Amino acid sequence: MKQKKCNRNMVFYELRNINGNFMTHFFGIVFPNMMSLIFSKTIGAQVPEAARENVIVSIMLSMSLVIPMSIMFIGYGALYSQEVEREVPLRMRLFGFREKSLLTAKIIAHMIFMTIAFIIYAAFQMITMDIPKPAVSSVICLLASLYLIGIILLVIAHSLANIFRKFSLTFGITMAVYFMLMMLTGMMGISTDQLPKALQKVAATFPMTYVSNDFADFWTGGSYNFVPFIQSFLFFGAVAGLLLMYAQYRDRRALQ
Amino acid sequence: MLLTIKQLQVKYGNQTALQISSPIGFEKGERIGVIGSNGAGKSTFVKAILGLAKYEGRIITDLRPEQMAAHMQSNAYVTTMPVRRIMEMVLDTRIKENKELQELIAFFDFDACLSKRYNALSGGQKQKFTIIMIMMQKAELTFYDEVTSGLDFETRQKLMEKLVEWYRDKEDSLVIVSHYYEELEQLADKILLLDQGKVIAFGRTQELFRTYCGNAIFILDNNSSNSSLTREFRKLKAPNHLIALSCRDQEEERRLVDILIDNQVNFKRSDSDIEIMSINAREQFYASAQER
Repeated sequence: MKQKKCNRNMVFYELRNINGNFMTHFFGIVFPNMMSLIFSKTIGAQVPEAARENVIVSIMLSMSLVIPMSIMFIGYGALYSQEVEREVPLRMRLFGFREKSLLTAKIIAHMIFMTIAFIIYAAFQMITMDIPKPAVSSVICLLASLYLIGIILLVIAHSLANIFRKFSLTFGITMAVYFMLMMLTGMMGISTDQLPKALQKVAATFPMTYVSNDFADFWTGGSYNFVPFIQSFLFFGAVAGLLLMYAQYRDRRALQ
Repeated sequence: MLLTIKQLQVKYGNQTALQISSPIGFEKGERIGVIGSNGAGKSTFVKAILGLAKYEGRIITDLRPEQMAAHMQSNAYVTTMPVRRIMEMVLDTRIKENKELQELIAFFDFDACLSKRYNALSGGQKQKFTIIMIMMQKAELTFYDEVTSGLDFETRQKLMEKLVEWYRDKEDSLVIVSHYYEELEQLADKILLLDQGKVIAFGRTQELFRTYCGNAIFILDNNSSNSSLTREFRKLKAPNHLIALSCRDQEEERRLVDILIDNQVNFKRSDSDIEIMSINAREQFYASAQER
């Protein structure tokens, strides 16, 4: 028996697994579309005509962040922590699967599901809202950011589930972090610059803050200083990396 | 040698769950039966070898963890898809394209279960599902930890029959953990007897039987009439409702059989009864420990 590496069968298996999880469907597909529609109709109606387009783009961008956060963080955290609690990953390791292979397959499958969610979201936005045509570079930048945010969030959820080993605890923590991130990064209707100074500094360490607050400014083109945004990715990625290393260290097999 | 264990100690907190002082070795192709009551350290023993429990001491083997297959006491799978999909992923194959797998599924009468989800399978079907995948792994060393636990008598018997039939002419190395003695009698050629985390006895089943029980034993109901009829024969420790008599040679056996037949006493003869052997091995172990 050989160690099993990530392959097509594993990715399909993970896709079927995601498909069987109601939370991922609701929070990843229904919720962002519903929220963007409600926010754009309510907030959009309150702003002057000249600023409306920018506000709607801003809402569309903010709500697009809900997709990776729901699918890769809440949905994945709920699904995987249930597996950990029932020792499914241990069973898979006993079948010769390496943690790295399992995690890779999960990331790929979730990225595929997230792509489907993005397509539905984009189609819904185009049909229901008056979104100006974006610059190609802006779309590429947005998608790259969303995928990267999603991967980092999935790694964090994966590590939390492996550390706490209980669905209730992991789900509670991921939900609390999810709403905290939404509030801090300007996704709940309060922009980051309205927050107290200390919280603004905390918000600056999350890449979502920049997507939510700044990306609307260069949606149709223009320049942007990406340095703080990249720095936030490095910080966020480092947190995920450290959590993953700690979770793997705790879970290592004694016989190497 | 496939695997050697030296000075192994596994602790859970301050409590020693397993202590193996004398070296234990598994040869390629051997079938080791691990027995002991609850809390004896059987599952801890398996977990230590699989690298799932922290231990002190040495487990010397060229096998990597993924070269060992294990059927654990509880085996869980996702319930979001039919078990067919899980099986195809684990074995990285397609059932309809894999003849060997199809044969194994048919051998265990599992065809009708493939479209069900894991939580919809019965206890016996769940065990079969894991067993099929473990057998397909063709590992150097396979562990079966309480493979029939939680099953009713009939399902247990049927499952064991299938396992015995499957491994009959094969040379796979197995470690079978059970507290059902009759299961080990069918499958194991070596016995590791554990009690309260200690090794009580380890060796070939026949040798252990001769050491602790003699050439053959006769088991009959424990009542005053049987007890008085057989008072001149050596009595072994046995469960309270039974009398176990040890015979050194065939001549002694014939003498005993004549008495039993003449008096119309029902009896069972055995030269491999693991239950009586275990009881007496345990008795001797603690008696000599007390003397020391």
